[in-house]
Amino acid sequence: MALKMRRSELLPGQKRLSPGSVVADVGLIGWFLFSLFPIAWMVILALKNAEEQTTTYFQFSPTWSNFATVLSDKGTQMTSVDFKAALLTSLLNCGGAVIVSLVIGIPAAYAAGRWKYKGSNDLMFQMLSFRFAPELMVIVPLFVIYNQIGLFDTKVGMIWVLQLVTMPLVVWILRSYFEDLPADLEQAALLDGYTRTRAFVMVALPIVRPGIAAAALLAFIFAWNNYVFPLILADSNAGTVTVAITKFLGGGGQAYYNLTAAAAIIAALPPLILALTIQRYLVRGLSFGAVKA
Amino acid sequence: MATIGLTGLSKSFGKTRAVHDLSVDIADGEFFVILGPSGAGKTTTLKSIAGLVDIDAGTVTIGGNDVTRVEPYHRNVAMAFESYALYPQKTVSENLASPLRSGRSGRFTDAQRAERIDQVTTTLGINALLKRFPRELSNGQRQRVALGRVLVRPADVYLLDEPLSHLDAKLRAAMRAELKQLGAMSKTTTVYVTHDYQEALALGDRIAVLREGSLVQIGTPEEIWRRPADTFVARALGQPEINILDGVVDDGRIRLGSDAAAFDLPLPADVRRLTGDRVRVGLRPCDIHVVGAESTSARLSGTVRLAERLGRNIELTVDVGGEQLIVLSSGREGVDEGSRVSMTVADNDVHVFAAGDGDTALLGADDNTLEAAL
Repeated sequence: MALKMRRSELLPGQKRLSPGSVVADVGLIGWFLFSLFPIAWMVILALKNAEEQTTTYFQFSPTWSNFATVLSDKGTQMTSVDFKAALLTSLLNCGGAVIVSLVIGIPAAYAAGRWKYKGSNDLMFQMLSFRFAPELMVIVPLFVIYNQIGLFDTKVGMIWVLQLVTMPLVVWILRSYFEDLPADLEQAALLDGYTRTRAFVMVALPIVRPGIAAAALLAFIFAWNNYVFPLILADSNAGTVTVAITKFLGGGGQAYYNLTAAAAIIAALPPLILALTIQRYLVRGLSFGAVKA
Repeated sequence: MATIGLTGLSKSFGKTRAVHDLSVDIADGEFFVILGPSGAGKTTTLKSIAGLVDIDAGTVTIGGNDVTRVEPYHRNVAMAFESYALYPQKTVSENLASPLRSGRSGRFTDAQRAERIDQVTTTLGINALLKRFPRELSNGQRQRVALGRVLVRPADVYLLDEPLSHLDAKLRAAMRAELKQLGAMSKTTTVYVTHDYQEALALGDRIAVLREGSLVQIGTPEEIWRRPADTFVARALGQPEINILDGVVDDGRIRLGSDAAAFDLPLPADVRRLTGDRVRVGLRPCDIHVVGAESTSARLSGTVRLAERLGRNIELTVDVGGEQLIVLSSGREGVDEGSRVSMTVADNDVHVFAAGDGDTALLGADDNTLEAAL
């Protein structure tokens, strides 16, 4: 009889079950299901065969064949894009973009977190402002420039342009980590006889490792989800999954909604796997900020 | 083995003046204490010697060499931070080994390193903690590890920033005694920052009292205690705080208290003040001696308003001629609240300061310069 529990029976931290909180919980569960419905719809669609793909009732004969088709030569013939190759390209583009962002962004974030000078905040804001403007605003000049200097449809070009997405994230997230790090730690290392560079590598870097994991994951997901840059600045050589998925919608010919859904699910797997792998670093990363040393 | 010289040291953080025009010379092997309330610029002074802050003006010399523009890792200085600053991802023994591994405090074989660490951890009583991480230690243990990271290495100068502040009272007293006996400490020039006057008086060869970034007084513990330069220093030393009373000079004596029940004390011979001049009188609670019930030979007599037993002593609040005096008594006199008591004060325990609000200067033998400033 949870509802009739007397106050004296409650342990510290326990709350009485009130009608209001029950209503709130039911409401939140409802909202949760409502928000997840597009994903459920995508999964259902991916399991339907071609005849059933436009039906809206939930009765159908499930099949795994869509996933096989997307990854097979048959899928390549239907869309004239090799989905497997696009998957690999995406991995290379996003992995490369994140690595470049980390190599340049970690020292930049350290400098931004440690040395304050007139205008240092403006500089950081300037970097963040790359994320304000829609990518479509800069895509036309970028297209012209990429064509002229021969970066169109190259992986190097994609990695470069993705810095607009990943670099601000890495610098902003890591700057707050470095700011939380007490300067006394590196000062102690200086007095122990280590140079500034060694103090950074030996003391600061290992402590912000959770932050680096978090920033890298987030940057990877944002880069992976990017659609406009590969759509305009790449073709068959540097084209990514986000663009390849849409090819199953057929551009004028027949639209394969079931194959599109299957392709979208496959494309969502790499970030998901990555997130699960570095999850334990993320949790430690979150608690690091909470308990300031 | 090194002297330290600070000349005209100044440092501001934004609009806050942390240290202003500080000049101090510290002798080789001296144990030098910097005493002051929080925000007095103690830590900034220490970090200036270490080279961890870019000073705005002045010079720093160590062993006679100007190191003002020398990087911290070239100064051969060891420092214990108030925040401990232990490397969280390293164990206690790795933390202690860190200054020995950098190669800048000398070259050590593994065996020498182990021996030095063992010696220090034995002294500090942290032998059992070597394999632990800083997060697994209590604050007191962390503080001892931080101190150990200083003592483990040979250095020209040891800088200690409140190294005992987080220990409990008993351990603190024990560590204070041990610090004084440490061989390394007695041979190496040490600058010790504290806000605890007892530590300062107990440990220091000399003490510098800082207030708002400026030097107020510098001297041996004896000098600072016997002849505080002004009411600020007098108040900073001693618990309970010194009694400061307003008085008027009257024919070679100082009249204190409200008119109805006025009392007086002799004006020290070296204080040149004329009848009618206003002064302030400082009487330390421990310098006022209760001589029992009403007695004619005594100088002061009053009514006990409050008696609090503080272990060894009883702290009395005595109403003397309308003034509330704090008096420390041994408790053997058997005084109760409400009873009358008589008290004596030795002549040289009467401190006379210039009149005024805020902090005013001591008057005495060499007060000519002070008078000029009034």
